[in-house]
This record gives sequence, C-alpha cells and structure tokens, in this order.
Amino acid sequence: MLTGNAAAAWGVRLAEVDYIPIYPITPQTEIIETLAGWISNGVMDSRFVTMDSEHSMLTAAGSASATGARAFTATSSQGLLYGFEMLYAVAGWRVPLVMVNVSRGLSSPITLEPDHNDVLAARDTGFLQIHCETCQEVLDSILMAYRLAEDERVLLPIFVNLDGFYLSFTREPVEVPDVEQVRNFLPLYQPKHAFFKASQPMAQSAAVLGGLAYSYFKYQMHMASQNALAVYKEVCDEFETGFGRNYDTIEGYMLDDADYVLVMTNSFSTLGKAAVNAARERGLKAGLLRLRLLRPFPVTDLKAAVTGKKAVAVIDQNISIGKGGILHSEIASCLYHEKHRPLLLSFIAGLGGKNISPDEFEFIINKMVTGADTEDAGTAQLLYTDTEWQEMGRLKGMAGKG
Amino acid sequence: MYRVRFHGRGGQGARVASKVLGTAAFLDGYYAQDFPLYGAERRGAPVAASTRISEDPIMERGVIPEPDIVIVMDETLLQDPLTMPLSGLKPGGIVLINTTHSPAEAKAVYKITAQVITLDITKIGLDMLGMPILSTLAGGVAARIVGLSEDSLKAAVEKVLSEIITDRKLLDKNVAAALYCFNAITPAKIELKTIDTNKKKSTVISLPFEPAEISSPAINATGNTPLRMTGNWRVFRPAWNYEACTRCMICVARCPDGCILVNEDGYPYTDYDNCKGCLICVGECPTNTLGKVMEVHAKKVTG
Repeated sequence: MLTGNAAAAWGVRLAEVDYIPIYPITPQTEIIETLAGWISNGVMDSRFVTMDSEHSMLTAAGSASATGARAFTATSSQGLLYGFEMLYAVAGWRVPLVMVNVSRGLSSPITLEPDHNDVLAARDTGFLQIHCETCQEVLDSILMAYRLAEDERVLLPIFVNLDGFYLSFTREPVEVPDVEQVRNFLPLYQPKHAFFKASQPMAQSAAVLGGLAYSYFKYQMHMASQNALAVYKEVCDEFETGFGRNYDTIEGYMLDDADYVLVMTNSFSTLGKAAVNAARERGLKAGLLRLRLLRPFPVTDLKAAVTGKKAVAVIDQNISIGKGGILHSEIASCLYHEKHRPLLLSFIAGLGGKNISPDEFEFIINKMVTGADTEDAGTAQLLYTDTEWQEMGRLKGMAGKG
Repeated sequence: MYRVRFHGRGGQGARVASKVLGTAAFLDGYYAQDFPLYGAERRGAPVAASTRISEDPIMERGVIPEPDIVIVMDETLLQDPLTMPLSGLKPGGIVLINTTHSPAEAKAVYKITAQVITLDITKIGLDMLGMPILSTLAGGVAARIVGLSEDSLKAAVEKVLSEIITDRKLLDKNVAAALYCFNAITPAKIELKTIDTNKKKSTVISLPFEPAEISSPAINATGNTPLRMTGNWRVFRPAWNYEACTRCMICVARCPDGCILVNEDGYPYTDYDNCKGCLICVGECPTNTLGKVMEVHAKKVTG
C-alpha cells in the first residue's frame, strides 16, 4: 500500500536519478521527504539539494539535466507558477527533465485540493504531460517519462501529474518493480547535445534576434513534441512487455460500443467509471475516455475513439476564465473537420477538489441522451447542486454577507 | 512614401534622430512612423532606426528593408559585415555619411554607387553641443533631404528633446545645431529608378525536423569572441604621454574591458583593436599621462 506521493518517490528511486533540487509545498512535500529519507539512509544514491524557491529549483534541475545528469524535481500549484518562467527556459534547452506536479487549485481564493489549472497553465511550455488516475500509474509513468523524454527524437522535459490529496495522500496497492528490470527498460541517459566537459566547451541557450532563428528553435520543439506521439507508443509497448501493464495515450472504459462518452482526466476518472457502470445498469450505452497524454495531444487516437459516437461530454476540472473548459476547446478543435463528429457537451466540475456525485454524473448522461435526440449541445454547465448552493448561503452568512 | 533608415551606434542618437524626423514630418502634415531596432542595450553597439513619411496612410511595419535614404551616422559601420547599412538601398537613392571625406572620396573608399552626401556631423556636434551625440543633427540633415520645413524641424527637436532632457541651454544648442545641419547640405534629388520586378519570389517550405543535437540553441563552436573587435566604436582614443607615467597601474585596474596591457618596460598601453573609447582611464589617471584625441576613422585617400 503506497500513497501517490510515495509511488512517485519509488519511481524516482527506481529511475536511479542523479540530482534532485527541491522546494516543499503541500500536497507534494511527501515525495521529497520520502526521497530525502532514502538518501539519508543510504538506500538511494542521489544528490539532494534544498533550494530557495521553485524558480531556483527549476533552474537547478534544468541546468543539471543540461550537464547530462538525470534530474528530477516536483512541485504543485503556486510553486509551479512561481517557477513558471523557467518552464519555458528549460524546455527550450531541450533537456529531458522529469517533473511531478501534484495538482492543486490556484489562488485566489487559496485552497489545497485539486483541479488542473496549475498544470494546464504549462501546456504551451514545451513540457510533455502525462496525467495519472492511480498510484500504480504514477510510479509507472515516471519510468515511462524518462524513456520518452530522453529519446533522441524527443528530448523535451515532461510532467507527470497526479491529483493532490485524492491521489497524493491516497494509499492503495502498488506493485514496485524490480530495479534490474527497470534498468533493462530505462538505460543510462547519454546525451549528445547537452553535457559538461572541460575539454569540449559549449554555450547553452544562445540569444537570438530577428525572429528567424527563434522561429526555427520553437518549431523544432513542436516537431519534437509531435514525434513523441509515435515514440510514446513504442515506450508503451515495451513497458507492457516488461511489466505487464498497458498505458496508451488514452484509456477507454467500456468505450468501444458506447453511444455516450464521458471525457475525463486524472483521479476523478474513477468516479466517472462508476457512473458509467451505473448508466449501463440503467440500460444506457455509456463509456469513458480518459486522456492520459495531454502534451503532445493525441489527436489521432482521440478522433478514432469518439467519431461516430452519439454524444461526448467533456468534464473539465479546470476553467479558462472568459472561455470555459480547456479540454473541451482542445477536443472541439480536433473534431471540427470530422464528418461524423459527435455532439460535444461541456461541463465544468471538481474545481478546487469539489466532489462529483453520482447525481451529477446522471445529470451529465441525461443531458447527452436528450442532446443527442434534439441535436443540441446546449451551453457549458457548471456542476453545482442545490445542497451546495444552500451550504454556500450559510458560508456567505458567516462572512457577513447574509 | 519616403523610407529613411538611420544607422548609428548605441548612444549616438540614431533612435532619437528617427523620432525627430518622424515628428517633423507629422508636423508638416504627413503620415509618419518611426521605429528603432537594437539588441541588448549598450553603448557602441550597432543600432538601426526607420522613419516612414507618406501622403497616404502607412501600411508597413518594422525595419525598412529597401530604403530611399540611408543616414550613416558612424562611417565605421559601412565596413561592419553584420550591419551593412547600404543593404537594400534603392537605385537612385541617397546616402548621407557622417565623415570628413568628400562625396567623391567616400564613393571611392566605400565603393558606393548611390548618390552620396557627406557632412562631418561629429565635428559639428563637438563644436556646437560639446559632445558627440548626433541625434538632432542627423534628424536635421534627413529633414532637409526629404524636403521638410525648417519650422517643423525646429518644433520637432523642441518636442522630442524636451521629453528626454531638462537642460534648456542644451536643448537650445540642439535646435541651433539641427538647423545648422539642415542648411549645411545641398540636398540631392531622389531619382528612384524602376525597380526590377523579376525579383525571385520566396517559397514557403515545410521545416524539416532536426534532432536536439542540432536544434537546441547551443553553440559548440569555440573561440569566436576575439574576432569581434570593438575598437571602431571609439569617438575619442586614449593617448599616452609616457614622460608623466609613474606606472601606478590604476588605469590597468580601472579599464572595464581589460584593454590596457603592460609592456616589457612596465608601461601600460592600449589595445586599440578592442578599446571602445570609454575614457575611464583618462579620468582615473592621477598624473595626466593619458589624454584624449579624436578618432578620424576615414582613411585618407592617396593619389
């Protein structure tokens, strides 16, 4: 039995990471505490350095990666935003840093529980992104992340994302692989383009003016990220061969014959799967599609999975203020040119870790059924219940706003 | 439309010159646009600025690739392979060069086929302002070449400079110097020839993927910094009088660029290939060993 955080730490330990610069933040801190304990006890051989901020932490991690070391770091929410400038910088260095983000809603108002506005804010940085549903998946994804990021066709940093509290502090059974088996899957990192050799000096990250060189470097990052789609499939196949667990870019749950599809990410997908079971008991052909790889975006896999369905409801656990659900927008743009595109509904749910109850899932599925009949997707809907509204009234009263 | 491109060095005033010209054109009732482009801000580094003047709304942005008029505020830039001040100059266009050369000499030395006007603006700046800052002066010559009015030039200098300096006397000196330059040149007539329309069209390509070994912004080539000499940035050079030198080495310690070396007899000397002419050494020297002499970058034409 391991928490999501402990599973992340195990992934780092098994990947035999060289350098770990850190800065604590709830709900991530348990990862670095676990690693610090192992390094202190001598069961893990890594350089562990406490930094003065997430900005310095990311600079150190990216720089270490640029010297050829295998580096790891982790943060969450406000910490991610504090280091945000360096996300673009490190990605531009084309180094395979693996970083865990433990999702947590962004201030203001400040909170501790998860939604995905933190990690999705980084979607344009050049970092790849894997989002996890289970503790086992967290451990396995870290191993896959190093393989993917260190591949010469890719060489971009990567996030492994897990939900704060709902996964980070949740214990469940996790199989810890054998280190020799991991070494077979994940050989030593030997970079050709980023190293530290006195005999072979190099300048990293040159300044460029005029746009010509800048456009070249930026678009090469995009192409490298696109390459990662095919490389991911190879890594996924090899991982399954070695460890017996399959993690495709998307996970389908009762998806093949489904007419009505929920699209979700991360740990709340488990609740969605339960809702699919309940809908099937009601005689509705429901299914769930969980997006696992968010950068690069698995356009082809997504299209193949949902074209021809009657209705798809995207449940965004995030909100782009002034636009709506981020994933709804991204999925809509993928499907625009499809002849048999499904009706696409948008729901905002689980902000700041707010629960999604079976009643709310039932509401979504009913909306899909009636929407498919009337060919009307309606407008984006926040999932918020009458009892929650009453409770909010009580809180407003306490705040002197009665 | 007239398209005027200014080339100078950081601190010389190319940007302000383009603003003076743009403002004067605006005051004369034209559509006008001015725009500077420079790298990391530092004195001495090449700067380009563009001014567009038109009777119709201006549907262009950015650096002027094919100017009608080029104002070269520092003639050493004519031989700078990265700046190339004359690039794109239209056939029949005009170049004004800040130099001691005559137009014929300048054409011969720098192998220029376009029309050339020359004026020693640096000398005028030193005489009338007491400093080699040439913004309003270059603005003045440019205003004359494009045919703007003296009144608008005067008002433009007043307006642009009052935003950046508070010294009324210096501002008045600038107005006088700009008008002096305005009247010091005989403007050539811009006679643009028909431009070759058979120019090769650009083709949009699909960028090929290249691995990070090539496509990360790293530089593997070594030892290219010494190739970039900065000695031609100087307006004044430090000059040595070894009779007064006590070999105290204060100049060596104070030079921000490590351009003062020591000879076999223990006397300091300047690495003129790289000295930018900041003159900190002249200010720091306790014995007046160091003086300043104005640079004449124009090489005399013999024969």
